[in-house]
Amino acid sequence: MSDLRKFLSIIATLLLVFAIACGGGQETVYDDEEEDEGGEEVATATSADTAQPGAPATADAGNVSGVVKLAGTPAAMPNVAMGADPACHQQHPTPAKSNEVVVSADGGLANVFVYVRPQDVKGSYPAPKTEALLDQVGCLYKPHVHAVHVGQTLKIRNSDPTLHNVHALAKANPEFNIGQPVQGMESQKKFDKPEILIKIKCDVHGWMNSYLAVMPHPFHSVSNDGGAFNISNLPAGTYTLEAWHEKFGTQSQQITVGPNETAQVSFTFNAS
Amino acid sequence: MKPQEPIPHNYSISTLNKIFALSSLGLLMGVGAMVAYDYISGWKRFQVGFMRLEEQRIRQELRAAEESQSRVELTRLDEEMQQREEEIARNREGYRSAQNELRSWEGRHYAADQNFRFAKATLDALRYEAEVAALKKRRNADRKREEYEAQSARVEELKLELEEVTRRRDAAKARVDGFLMRVRELEDRKKESTATIERLRKQLETVAPTPAFLILNAPLLDFINPTLRVDQVVVEDMFIDINYLHVPRVDRCMTCHRAIERPGFESKREAARLQAELQNKLETFQIPPERVAETEQRIDQLARIQTQRGIPNPYRTHPFLDTFVGSASAHPLAEFGCTSCHRGLDRSTNFARAGHTPMSRRQEARWKKSWHWKAQKYLETPMYPRQYFQAACVKCHSNQITVDSGPAITRGMTMVELYGCHACHKIDNWRFTALRKPGPDLNGIAEKTTPQWVSRWLADPHSFRSTTRMPAFFHQRNMNGPAVSQREREQNTRFQNAEIQAIVSYLFNNSTRRPWNGGGSGDPVRGEQLVGSVGCLGCHIAQDTVEDEQGAVREARRDDFPLERHYGFNLVGTGTKTDAGWLFNWLKDPRRYYHSAPMPDLRLTDQEAADITAYLMTLQKPDFMQRPLPPTEPRAVAELAKNYLINTMTDREANERLASMPLREQLDYLGQRTIEKYGCYSCHDIKGFEGLKPIGTELTIEGSKTLHLFDFGLVHDFEAHDGKDEHILHTVPSWIYTKVRAPRVWDDHREKPYQDKLKMPNFRLSPSEAQAITSVILGLTKERVDQSKNARLDPRSRAVEEGRKLVSQHNCRGCHVVEGYGRAIETTLSDPGLAPPDLTPQGSRVQSPWLFHFLKDPTVMNLRPWLSVRMPTFHFTDLEANTLVQSFAADGNVLQFDTTRYATPHPQNVAVGQVVFEMLRCAQCHPSGPAAATSEVADAASLAPNLSFARVRLQHDWIPDWIRRPNEIVPGTRMPTNFPRDPESGDFTSPLGMAIDTPAFSQYKARLSRYYPSDEEMRKALDDVVTISGYLRDYIWTLGPSEMRIAPATGEPRPQPPGRLQPTIELPAVGSTGSEQGSERPAR
Repeated sequence: MSDLRKFLSIIATLLLVFAIACGGGQETVYDDEEEDEGGEEVATATSADTAQPGAPATADAGNVSGVVKLAGTPAAMPNVAMGADPACHQQHPTPAKSNEVVVSADGGLANVFVYVRPQDVKGSYPAPKTEALLDQVGCLYKPHVHAVHVGQTLKIRNSDPTLHNVHALAKANPEFNIGQPVQGMESQKKFDKPEILIKIKCDVHGWMNSYLAVMPHPFHSVSNDGGAFNISNLPAGTYTLEAWHEKFGTQSQQITVGPNETAQVSFTFNAS
Repeated sequence: MKPQEPIPHNYSISTLNKIFALSSLGLLMGVGAMVAYDYISGWKRFQVGFMRLEEQRIRQELRAAEESQSRVELTRLDEEMQQREEEIARNREGYRSAQNELRSWEGRHYAADQNFRFAKATLDALRYEAEVAALKKRRNADRKREEYEAQSARVEELKLELEEVTRRRDAAKARVDGFLMRVRELEDRKKESTATIERLRKQLETVAPTPAFLILNAPLLDFINPTLRVDQVVVEDMFIDINYLHVPRVDRCMTCHRAIERPGFESKREAARLQAELQNKLETFQIPPERVAETEQRIDQLARIQTQRGIPNPYRTHPFLDTFVGSASAHPLAEFGCTSCHRGLDRSTNFARAGHTPMSRRQEARWKKSWHWKAQKYLETPMYPRQYFQAACVKCHSNQITVDSGPAITRGMTMVELYGCHACHKIDNWRFTALRKPGPDLNGIAEKTTPQWVSRWLADPHSFRSTTRMPAFFHQRNMNGPAVSQREREQNTRFQNAEIQAIVSYLFNNSTRRPWNGGGSGDPVRGEQLVGSVGCLGCHIAQDTVEDEQGAVREARRDDFPLERHYGFNLVGTGTKTDAGWLFNWLKDPRRYYHSAPMPDLRLTDQEAADITAYLMTLQKPDFMQRPLPPTEPRAVAELAKNYLINTMTDREANERLASMPLREQLDYLGQRTIEKYGCYSCHDIKGFEGLKPIGTELTIEGSKTLHLFDFGLVHDFEAHDGKDEHILHTVPSWIYTKVRAPRVWDDHREKPYQDKLKMPNFRLSPSEAQAITSVILGLTKERVDQSKNARLDPRSRAVEEGRKLVSQHNCRGCHVVEGYGRAIETTLSDPGLAPPDLTPQGSRVQSPWLFHFLKDPTVMNLRPWLSVRMPTFHFTDLEANTLVQSFAADGNVLQFDTTRYATPHPQNVAVGQVVFEMLRCAQCHPSGPAAATSEVADAASLAPNLSFARVRLQHDWIPDWIRRPNEIVPGTRMPTNFPRDPESGDFTSPLGMAIDTPAFSQYKARLSRYYPSDEEMRKALDDVVTISGYLRDYIWTLGPSEMRIAPATGEPRPQPPGRLQPTIELPAVGSTGSEQGSERPAR
C-alpha cells in the first residue's frame, strides 16, 4: 500500500514538473505581435540600472562655452502695440520692441536655449532648493526664455498694475492657466516631468509669451544679449548639444568634453 | 491420486498467456497514456504557469513593500511610539492618578447605576400596589400612595446622582484616553503599514506549491477536490446558436486567461496608459479622498509593472477594465461572458478549437508552431482577430452615433456613411434610417461643369483630387492590370472608353440647363483669406500635397486629415472643374441649386461670394485638362449595347434595333445601362433612376457568413494601389479587408468575359481605413442580444442620441469640440484662441430658449465678435432645432425651462459681486453693454464673451461653477483660473482675502467695509470661493436684460426665406437704468 502511494506521488511530481517545464518553455512566447515587449524590456532594464541616484561626479568635469550667431540680416523687430491696455502702455515711454529675435551688433543671437540632450546624461540630479522666478514687468515676461529643474519651484509674479493670466501650454506636465489680478501677486508651480519647452502666454495681452524648459539635469544655458552661453561642470564624455530658438527651430551638434577642459562650440542660425 | 490428465485444446495456453499479458500491458499503457494526455493537455499547464507567475509577482511586491515600508515608515513609527511612551513615563504620576481616578469613578458609577435600577424597579411595584389599592378603595390606599411618592422622589434623586457620576467617570476616562490615544494611533498606523505585507504573505501561501497541492492535483486522484479545475461563467440570457438551438453561453476562457478580471497583470502599454489616466485623475481631484491612498498604491503597482518583465498572454488582465469585464463596468464578465463580444467556441478549453483567429501570417506561423493551431473551418463564429476586436461593439451599438469606448468603431461607422458603403450595400439596423446619398446631385451637371472634365474625371478621379471619396470604376487591375493579357487589355480599354463616353452622354443629355450669372469682379487674395477665415476649412480641404516628417512633399491621402474635413469636397482644382457663375450662386445659397444640399449658408455678401469665387477659380489643374480624350468608337459602343439588347431579344432583332439607332441614341442607351451596371445612381441623384434598389450585396449579416461562402480566387498575396504587398489569410476578416482594399483582386489570373468581371470600384483605402471599415462589416451579424443588454434605453439617453445624429450629419465637429473631440478646423487657424467654442459642456452651460433661437438664426447675437469663423445658418426646421436643444439639455442634465432668469439677486450680494468683479478685472476681457466692439482692443483674440448676454444665455448655476474651475470644464480655455485648488486638499483657494489689505486694493476695501462688520469677516467672506463666485454671478446677472426680445432685425437686411423667425437681442444703451438695477456701475 505504501508502495502504491509512493509510486503515485512520484508520478504526480514527475508529471507536474513536466507540466511546469512545458509551461515555462512557452512563457517566453509573446502572443501579440503588436505588443512584443522583448526589446522594450531590455531597454528599461538597462536604464533602470544606470539611473542610480547619487551625487554627480565633478572631479573630471569639463565646461562648454560658445556663441550663437545669426547669419544674414533679420527683419527689424516691430514695436509691441500695447495700446489696448493703458496700464501696459504707460510703462513704456518709448515703445517696447518685440523680443522674438534679439541680435547684437556682431550678430550674436540672444534667447537661444542651449542644452545637453537629457538622454545623454547619466545619473540623476536633485532639484535645487532655490526658487526660479518668472516675472511680469511692463507687460512683458522676464526672463523670456529660461529653464527650471524637474521638481524645482517656479515663482510667478505679477509686478504690473493690471490683470495678467499665465497660461502654460504644457504637454507632458499638466496645463495650467492662472489669473493674477493683483499687483505683486505670486503663485508657485512645480513641474514633475522633463519638457522642452513649454510655451507660456498671457491671453489678456496677446504679445506676451515666454518659454520654459523643465530639465532633469543642470547642463543648459540661455544665450545672453551677445549670443554667448556657458555650461559648466559637465562630466567628461560625448554628448549631443542642442540649441533651440523660438523662431529658427532646433540645431544639434556632437561634442566631446575632456576632464577639466572647456569645449568651444558655436551655433549659427540662418535669418532667411 | 493420479495426476489429472491435461485437457486437449486447440490453442496453446502459454501463447495465450503471453498475448493476454501483452494486451493487458498494452491496455494499461493506453490508460496511462490517456490519463497522462488528459493531465498535461492544455489548460492545466497554463494554470500552473500562472501560479508560478503570480508567485513571482507576489514575491516582488513583498520585497518592494518590505523595503519601502519597514525601512522608512516603521522605524519612524517605532521612534514616535517610543517617544510617546517615554512621555507617558514622564507623566507617570499624572497618568497613574488619572487611571486610579477612573477606576474609582468606574466603581462609583457601577454602584450608582445599580441603586438607580433597583429603586426604579421598586417604584414600579409600588405604583401598581398604589393603583390597585386606590381602585379597590382599600384602607391602606393613602399610605401606599405616600410610599409611592416617596420612592418616586428617591428615584429622581438617584437619577441625578447617576448622571453626575457618569459625567465625572467620562471626564476621567477622557483624561486617560488622552494619554493613550496617541499611542493607539501610532499602533494603528503601524498595523496598517504592515497590513500590506501580511496580506502579501497570506497570498503567497495560496500560490506556493505545497504537498497538499501535489496530492490534490495528482493524476487519478484529481477527481476528488482538485485545485486546478475548469472555470466557467454561465451567461443565461446571452444565447449561442448551436444547430438552430439557442442555448446559454458557457464561457470557459478564464480557465487559461487566469487574470482576465484581476488588476495587476496588465501589459506594459496598458499599465502606462492606466498610470497616466489615474495620475491625471488624481491631479485633477477626480478621486474621492477616501480612495486616494488606494489609487496611489495602484499607480505604484502600475509603475512597477512597466519596469518588470512583461506578462505574456494568456495571463494578462483585460485592458480597459472599467469598461469591460470588471464587475463595476458596463460589460461585467458575469453578465456578458467573453464570447458574446469576442466570439469563438464558448465551451472549449483547447487553444485551436476555441476559435482563436490570427491577426497576421506571422502570428499564424507562431501559433502553428507553439500551440498546434489549425484553422477551424466549420466553426460558425471564429474569434475576431486582434485588430478587429472593436467589431464586437457594432453588434449592440450599430444604432448608436458615438460609441464611448470605441473611437475606432465610431470612426469606422462614420466612414461607412461618408464613403457611401451603405448607398450600394443595404445595411439594416443601422444607426440612421434614412441617409442622404453620399455623392452630389447630377441632374444639373451641365450647369456646373463640362463633358470633357467629367470624361477625364470618370477615367481617373484620384489623379484630379487624391483625397476624393469618389471611387475609381475604370482602368482597374482586372481590366488593365499587369495580369491581363495584352490583347484583352486593348479590348478592355476600348470598351471602358465607350462606357465613359456613354455615361457622359446620358448625364449631359438629361441635365437641366439653368443660367447662373453673377460674381464677376472678385479679389482672389481676399477670397483666399475668407476661405481660411470664415470656416470653409472645417469641412473642406484645399490642398492635394502634404509634407511628411522628413519635410518631403508627397501626394495627400485622406488619412492625412481628420474625417470631418472630408464632408465637403477637396477645393483643389475647383477652377478647372466648375463654372464661375454657378460657383458664385452656389456659395450664396447652395439650396437654390439643389434642394437638400448639405452645404450650409455662410451668409456671404455678394462681394464676399465674388471674392471666394475669384479665389477658387484660381485653383487650376491645367495638366488634367491636357489629357487626351479618346475618340468615340462606334463599333465598341454598338458591341456593348448589343450585349445588353440580346438579354431580351434575339441576335437578329438586336442587330436590327441597333441599325435603327443613330450613334447618339446608342450612346444614351449604353449610358443608361452602364449607370445601371455600375450603380452610379446609388450615390448620385440621376434622372431616370429614381427609387431603384442599391446595387451591392446586402451587408446586414455579412459578419455571420461562414468561410465557405467567400471566394478567395487564385491569389494569396496582392499589391495594393499604394504599392504595399499584403498577405491574404484564409479567414473571413482577411477576405473583407482585401476586398475593400483591392476590390477586384479576386479576378486576378481568371478568365472572364468583359461583362462578368468584378465591378466594385476602388476607393484607394489606406490600411487603417480598410481596417476600420472591415471592423464595422465584421460586426454586422445575425447575433441578436436581449433587450436588457442593449445600451441606452432611458428617455434621456435617447434624447441625447437624437441630437448626436444631427451633430454627425451636419458635421458640427468640423468646427466645434462636441463631447470631448472634434474641431478639425483648429489646425488651419493661426491662433487656437480663434477657434469656435467647445460644446462639450454646452448642455449645462446655456439656456434652452437661447440655444433654440441661436440655432435658428446665429446672427441673433454677436457673442464672440472676435471670431472670424462664422456659425453658418443651417436652416434647421423647428423639429431639428428642438431635437438639438433637447439633446444638449439632456446631456447637461438641466431643465429646459426655468425661472432663474427672473430671480432678482439681493442688492448687497450684487454690490459685493461688483467689487469682486472689479478686483479680478473681469472687464479687462469681458465687455458688457452694446458699446463693446473689437476696435477698442488691439488684440482681438484676447476678448471674451459679452456679459450682457449672460442672463438670457447662461444657466444660473453654470456661471459660478465656470468661474471656479474653467480649466477643468474646458481644458485649455483662455479663461484664467482665479481660484486655484489647494494641491493637497483639492479645495478652492482665494487670493482675495490676502490681497484686500494691499494698498492697491484700499479703495475696494473701503467699499466692501460697508457690508461687513469687521475686516476679519470681510477676509473670511472673500476667502469663501463658493459664496464669492455666487456673488459674481449675481452681479453679472444685472448686466443684461432678462428677456430675449424677438424683434425685427435692424441694419442691413438679408434675403430671408419667408416665414422665418427674425429674433434679435435688444440691449439697452450704456448708462440707461435698465441694466443697472440700482447697483453701482463699475468705473471703467
